[in-house]
Amino acid sequence: MKSTVRVVAAILVAAGIGAWWITEPKPVAADSLPDLVPDAAAGELVFWAGGCASCHATPVNGKRAKGDDKLLLGGGLELDTPYGVFRVPNISSHDEDGIGNWTMIEFVNAMQHGVSPDNRHYYPSFPYTSYAKMAVGDLLDLRAYLDALPPVAGVVDEHTLEFPWTIRRGIGAWKLRYLDVEPALTVAAGNATIQRGRELVEGAGHCGECHTPRDRLGGLVKHRWLGGAPNPEGRGRVPNITPGGKNTSDWSAGDIAYYLESGFTPEYDTVGGSMVAVQENMAMLPKTDREAIAAYLKAIPIVDDEED
Amino acid sequence: MHHMKSLRVILATLVVAMISVAVADDSDPRHERHELMEGVGKAAKPIGKMFKGERDYDAEVVMASLNTWHKASLEFGDLFPAGSETGMDTEAAPSIWEDRAGFDEALAEFREAVEAAQAAKPMTLEDAKPSVGPVFQTCKGCHDNYRIED
Repeated sequence: MKSTVRVVAAILVAAGIGAWWITEPKPVAADSLPDLVPDAAAGELVFWAGGCASCHATPVNGKRAKGDDKLLLGGGLELDTPYGVFRVPNISSHDEDGIGNWTMIEFVNAMQHGVSPDNRHYYPSFPYTSYAKMAVGDLLDLRAYLDALPPVAGVVDEHTLEFPWTIRRGIGAWKLRYLDVEPALTVAAGNATIQRGRELVEGAGHCGECHTPRDRLGGLVKHRWLGGAPNPEGRGRVPNITPGGKNTSDWSAGDIAYYLESGFTPEYDTVGGSMVAVQENMAMLPKTDREAIAAYLKAIPIVDDEED
Repeated sequence: MHHMKSLRVILATLVVAMISVAVADDSDPRHERHELMEGVGKAAKPIGKMFKGERDYDAEVVMASLNTWHKASLEFGDLFPAGSETGMDTEAAPSIWEDRAGFDEALAEFREAVEAAQAAKPMTLEDAKPSVGPVFQTCKGCHDNYRIED
């Protein structure tokens, strides 16, 4: 009897140590960075492609920032989700309150591994699972651009989450299953336009975060990639943007690129909801990038519409 | 007997009331503004195709669309009365009634942009882009603030 208790206790301790080890944040070392000179001008395009301002720009009078206010990245937006309220942090160049004094490797670890400089896991409401698929060189450029934006003072309050989401360490286990640097889809390897579109959609653009449904643990359901999902912010659904989606299946590649540039659908309705900010960001990119996104969306596997 | 008669009167009144509601549907401001908005979108479509290079520039079509928009810009203001805030799947946002002055100003911007384009009489695509293009931006600007997000 006593020995059984001891065996069970030993197993529990081992499991505990194993779980602790497995869930430990795993940042990468500085010597893994490529030897490149960061280019702030290129970084500005990464900034718009990545939609940084849509979450991190400080709201003005309770509304999302517009114009030059999008460059004041003091955070403060609140995301009211089923897991609780996430509060978007200050990522301005302010030394104490923002990320001004982060090293480059700290920045890359945050963006691609979801690990903070004080070695804690970030919640995946920060879409590092998408940014993990970006080229590291793009991140160096982005950092150079962020450094050149104005510092904003002020620290944002912590998230207010529901149990068990309060246990940050659990994200370590979640990452083992869902954090993946590999492309979401294998698409036409020889086509440079489609490959560029893949980089933008799967990486910086993080389109899958809203347009792909999630499973019960909040991970993306890969076989329904971009196949539409319940709207995380309220009523309705985020549309299926594969060639099988009822909203966009009859859009030409030109229609998609024009929508991203102008905000007008082929029926001359205008973009709505959270997509307004996304479209305005995409309008800042070169025309060829919007065409690449359209080419990728036309090339990906059809996912049938599903109501849930 | 007297009671039966009043009951009949009440029933008849109810039936008449129900019929009038059904008939009144078409003149409901929520329905009217929806139809008007559909017309505005339809008028934008050929111009958008010209902008995208999908069809040749046609000054007559452009002027006709501008006229449709101008008429709509004069009619929209009356189609958002108190009591029509919700129902019939309206996409009108509560901000129209909370910030009526701002909404009226957005409508005025639409009308003024249309009038400027009409005055410019764009005869080529190159003329139309700077004169008609701004009208499109007023559509988007007003939707961002005064249409329900879905």
